[in-house]
Amino acid sequence: MDFFNSGLFWFIEGILLIITIIGLKIYLHDKNIKMNLWKWFFISGWILLFSFTIGFITTSIGENEPIAAFRGGLIFGFITLIAGLLVLKIMQK
Amino acid sequence: MKNNSKELSRRNFLKLSGVGAAAAGSIGLGLAGYQSGKDFDNYPGRESFHGQAQDFNRKKFEIDDSPYTQVDRTERVDARTGVIFARSSLLNRHWNEATGVDGLPEPIRSFYKEHPVLLEEDLRFRSEVIPNFRKDNQEYGDEFILAQAWSDAMHAVSPEIIKGDPKISDFPKGPRYGEPTEPYKLKSKGKTSELIKYMSYQFGSQLTGITKLNPNWVYKHQMPGRSESNDEEFKVPDHWNNAIVIGSPMSWDPMFANPNYGTSYDAYSRITITAYRLATFIRKLGYAARPHTPGMDYDLMVVPVAIDAGLGEQGRNGCLITPEFGANIRPAIITTNMPLSYDKPIKFGVDKFCDTCKICADKCPSGSISKRDKSIVRGYKRWSINVSTCYNFWFSNLGNIGCRLCIANCPYTRKSNWLHRSALNLTSNDPTGLSHKMFTEMQKGFYPSPDAQEYYSPSFGGSNASYREAPWWLKTDDFLKL
Repeated sequence: MDFFNSGLFWFIEGILLIITIIGLKIYLHDKNIKMNLWKWFFISGWILLFSFTIGFITTSIGENEPIAAFRGGLIFGFITLIAGLLVLKIMQK
Repeated sequence: MKNNSKELSRRNFLKLSGVGAAAAGSIGLGLAGYQSGKDFDNYPGRESFHGQAQDFNRKKFEIDDSPYTQVDRTERVDARTGVIFARSSLLNRHWNEATGVDGLPEPIRSFYKEHPVLLEEDLRFRSEVIPNFRKDNQEYGDEFILAQAWSDAMHAVSPEIIKGDPKISDFPKGPRYGEPTEPYKLKSKGKTSELIKYMSYQFGSQLTGITKLNPNWVYKHQMPGRSESNDEEFKVPDHWNNAIVIGSPMSWDPMFANPNYGTSYDAYSRITITAYRLATFIRKLGYAARPHTPGMDYDLMVVPVAIDAGLGEQGRNGCLITPEFGANIRPAIITTNMPLSYDKPIKFGVDKFCDTCKICADKCPSGSISKRDKSIVRGYKRWSINVSTCYNFWFSNLGNIGCRLCIANCPYTRKSNWLHRSALNLTSNDPTGLSHKMFTEMQKGFYPSPDAQEYYSPSFGGSNASYREAPWWLKTDDFLKL
């Protein structure tokens, strides 16, 4: 079995996600940004969208479908960017 | 002050770690995605021998009603006229310009009198298709030598075909041949079906379903060579109670480089060997078993039996579309009197999807797939294709005989990684049909392919195009000095 299909890989990904969230929490606290459940919900949604975009691009490259990677990357990348800006706006409220 | 600076440094460290972890996590996701696209583990139908390839949850999509819309009196198919291989072979053997259609033997004489357009198309095979093929093959054929050698090698091994009178040839031959005279008693139908399915995976099947055989799917007159004479109407044998449908996909990379580099024979060979193994297993338990295997050793139509057995639905391209492999499946059937429990037919959205998609019709070089609504064929409302024009393209193709472009172009024929499985789950569970339109547009925009005409060889106005690039191991120029 390949490392990227293994349970160990997803275990490490989980640890990295937790470290990211801890870092983000401290950053938000230092910036005096007050969080609530909704804000965390939007952040989680954006992380999922971001992960999907990365996954779509790289999976398409792996499948030898460069056009899908490029066009999908452009479309989903744009959507992720706009969604990220919206989430930032929501965070500042 | 010292304490504060330490606190600050710890917080900064955690923030920095967060940034680092986010970057590493993202890179990791990207690499996992790449692997998911490239990995052989995600090639649909990778042989498992334990049934893991049949992993779609069919239970949720099972239906109790018939999967067919019967609108008129039904009729069994006469293989001599209804199956293009048989019809074309008869026509080419008996055609005489001087006597024309009147010089043909029955039943093709009446058939062609009733369908003059099909006669014209079937005659084009000898007047245009084969001469152009020979000309182009001399000029460009060398490019496909590895693909042809690979295809020939794939079907170099095949079992001795069981044919003749089913009342004799289907049954165990007795102790002299190591087969029992009486069937062993079975504990339950359910357990037997479970055992048969597991054995089929062991023998090389990737998808298996079991159904009661509907006699309507059995040919009214058999294919040439299946019995001494097919002039008499073929009576469906009493012991053909049940049908076990098994299936195996064609190798992924060549299939995606159709029409030239793929072959049907890799899956044909695998599934034929599997069918004969399973038939031997059943006969060893004392029951009758008759394999119906590709390319021409069938006594029945395979797609409707496979639909009855819950393997999938019929698509616009006329093929069986399965959740696991899309249209990339080559089935075989074993008819038997072994008592078995049945699977139910499924509806997982193909019918609705094909209503809007039509990509296979757009990309079919011979225009054999209709963009129109379903038509009525022998009493059933269903998708149907023009097999005559389809067959003519098969033989104009310079690589391996056949085409398989409607299989490669089908949005259901995709790798079994997270991306395409998510799309399958969305479309299967969408009663509105909105996702069908969205995925059709995505398929057209993200996965473009050559125009239909480009797939033809130069004499027919094309450029020998393939759906995708040939795999490295079939590129003749890289290995042979020509």
